[in-house]
Amino acid sequence: MTSTVRESLLEGTQSPWRRMVRRQGWTVGVWVLLFLLIAYYSTLIPKFGSFQVAWVINNGQPIVFLAVAQAVIVIAGGIDLGVGGMLVLTSVTSARLMEGQSLSMTLLIAVGVLAAAAIMNAGVGWIINVSNVPDIVITLGSLYVFQGMALAVLPNPGGGANGGFRWLFTGSDTGVGSNWWPGAVMITITVVATALWLARTRSGLSLYAIGSNKAAAYLSGLNAARVKILSYAVGGAFAALAGLATTAIAGRGNATVFGGTRTLDSVAAIVLGGVALTGGIGSVIAVIPAGLILFFLNPILTAMGVDPHGAQIIQGVLIVLVLMVTGVIEWRRKRRG
Amino acid sequence: MDGDVTDPSPSLLAARAVDKRYGPVVALRGAGLTVEAGEVHGLIGANGAGKSTLVKILSAVFPADSGTIIVNGEEAVLRRPSDALTTGIATVFQDPALMPDLTISQNLRISRLDRGDVLPWLERMDLGRIDFDLMAGDLPLAVLRLLDLARALAHDPHLLMLDEITAALTTDQAAYVFDVMREMKGAGRSVLFITHRLGEVLMMCDRATILRNGADVAHLDLKGVDEAELVTAMLGEQLGEELIEEQDAEAAATVAEPVVLDRPVVLEARDLHFRDKVNGVSFELRRGEILGLTALEGQGQDELFQLLSGDRRPKSGELLVGGERLNARSPFDAIRSGLVLVPSDRHHALLPQRSVRENLSTPLYNRIRNWFSLVGDEEERVDKAVGRLDIDVRAGSQVQRLSGGNQQKVTIGRWLAAGFGTLLCNDPTRGIDIQTKAQIYDLLKELAADGAAVFLYTSELTEIPLVCDRVLVLYDGRIVHEQDAATATEEALLSAAHGLESTPA
Repeated sequence: MTSTVRESLLEGTQSPWRRMVRRQGWTVGVWVLLFLLIAYYSTLIPKFGSFQVAWVINNGQPIVFLAVAQAVIVIAGGIDLGVGGMLVLTSVTSARLMEGQSLSMTLLIAVGVLAAAAIMNAGVGWIINVSNVPDIVITLGSLYVFQGMALAVLPNPGGGANGGFRWLFTGSDTGVGSNWWPGAVMITITVVATALWLARTRSGLSLYAIGSNKAAAYLSGLNAARVKILSYAVGGAFAALAGLATTAIAGRGNATVFGGTRTLDSVAAIVLGGVALTGGIGSVIAVIPAGLILFFLNPILTAMGVDPHGAQIIQGVLIVLVLMVTGVIEWRRKRRG
Repeated sequence: MDGDVTDPSPSLLAARAVDKRYGPVVALRGAGLTVEAGEVHGLIGANGAGKSTLVKILSAVFPADSGTIIVNGEEAVLRRPSDALTTGIATVFQDPALMPDLTISQNLRISRLDRGDVLPWLERMDLGRIDFDLMAGDLPLAVLRLLDLARALAHDPHLLMLDEITAALTTDQAAYVFDVMREMKGAGRSVLFITHRLGEVLMMCDRATILRNGADVAHLDLKGVDEAELVTAMLGEQLGEELIEEQDAEAAATVAEPVVLDRPVVLEARDLHFRDKVNGVSFELRRGEILGLTALEGQGQDELFQLLSGDRRPKSGELLVGGERLNARSPFDAIRSGLVLVPSDRHHALLPQRSVRENLSTPLYNRIRNWFSLVGDEEERVDKAVGRLDIDVRAGSQVQRLSGGNQQKVTIGRWLAAGFGTLLCNDPTRGIDIQTKAQIYDLLKELAADGAAVFLYTSELTEIPLVCDRVLVLYDGRIVHEQDAATATEEALLSAAHGLESTPA
């Protein structure tokens, strides 16, 4: 014993490969699961090609973006039930404003919608801070407020979107004959940028810090209130991106769909993606395949001959199983002497 | 270094008349403290004297209700911990302030530091080769403490405050900390050192401030002071006299019943280990005995109770109930074998919005046949338990409306109706008035006289001779002292609890 600490704590004693497996295993696993499902799906249907891939990527965008919104907030120790309402609100607002506009005007509107959503959701975070009411209560309120605002903006389904704008998300101006890569690029750029921000910058790390141990983060000199507001602002922007994608895919807005269902999907996706609902743990990179898997489950089960209601049951069982596995691992770790 | 008589320059840090209340509990009343440049200053006092509260106010974790803090002769307004850091005050808190889900490097980045800032300090502590990509949550407590210390030092503070840093450290690790403290002092900087280990205070500190019940009762120059004098200063003369009177009054009652050592052993712990908190605890508890346990904060008592009540599994060692090995997977198993817990926080035991009766009946609902109603004589037993506790049941329509003392009676009473063999009490009289305390002790004595065994942890040393038959002292997860409670003096227990008896050479 020449050292005061165990050998295993010293540099170079743990194989980087094993650490990688331990830390990123879940992320890799979810990606593998997605590709396995796609491979399985390709054997189920008579003709599998780029059309199916494009279909999954393009239509999976809203849930992926919404799940990233939820992940950012949950990592910082919160939870936002309002993201689904924000999706609907930003979708109908953009559809109404964009109808008949030029591409450059449309892009300006898109940026404006993103910024407004970030500011509004930052306000939600601010209210949580000053009122000291739990996140889940305040955001349950914001869900209904956003949904109601959406109905006020666009009471009946309608509006429109510029063809060029629709191409950005779907690779098609009209929604017919789509292309897979613009959607893939859109997901990759935004989510990878977010992942790098979270893991590499002090402001990003501070989200993990307050989610991991708020008291310790405060003692380390972080302004916990400011970090929480930041997480809600970024979450709001991603919810708005999900809303813009929804408009681009459908070519119109519809405020009669209930955002709460989308919120629950986003929570399911982050759970599958390995984000701890208690905060501080998780990667947005794993949220991409998790969101796509949730979206993909329906067509697979349909192709297998299971009816749509059965699909919901399987989706529910999957979430419970994932939570059970993580719960049991955590429980065993805690109880061990 | 000097800072004594004439002293033309203002003190590095001074706190004057600091008050702090948490609801009805007064943590600090007019506490004061002065730290000069270039000194190591001890802050000592019993559990709950207000040491940590004062440190947290000085480092701006929360504000004082009133009082002033003066840094270098100027009144300082510190709003949050980062303000304290920029004024040159760095603190290592009792609980390490590192985020468990971030790596060491990431934790440093949160504090605007990098590897190079802490490495020189870590090398001094023999941690120079530590892997910075480890998650803080995977590190042992001692390493976290030292990392936290290195982080504080990297901010290059004028005043370093160390709250119970040595509690979790081994002797050689503590030696590194002392080296660092000497170096700080040599560079004309100051250290505020909080510890329960009086030997360390005498070894390291130039002066000390003693807190008692939230006030500073003595400021000592430690040159030529010995341990006994320090203990006396901590206890206060008056309190000692009161204690003796009280003991005389009680003596007649307690001495009459000698401890019967041939009674059967109902609970035996054999070499229990848990993490680095419980390091080989063994004891025997006999029928009809009240076995006392005392310790300073954080010596492993909470973990010991978790092991005894079946909440956690020991890493090694075993627990025998009535001679049979208990392998409890959860508290349910422990309760079935008659081992029941009165937790230190009564909010963990009670249903606050329900009535006294309902609370007393809850353990009975564990049995499936009782899911719909109580059966047989159980109704009667609940009635008897209510009567025995001497609580007005009409006032008890909601347990949360009762006083703290009466709530505590209910937590004990819960087991009266259900029946038990051994009662594990973790500090049952914390924050309770004298009269109710006496009632609780009477209740415990009655239970023991009826043949139950009681294992009682209390942080209040004066209580031990009044209730217990025997007393154990826990220090650093080990039983370091055992004696008959009737002959236990506060001084003896306090020195044992501070680890003075077993100081390694």
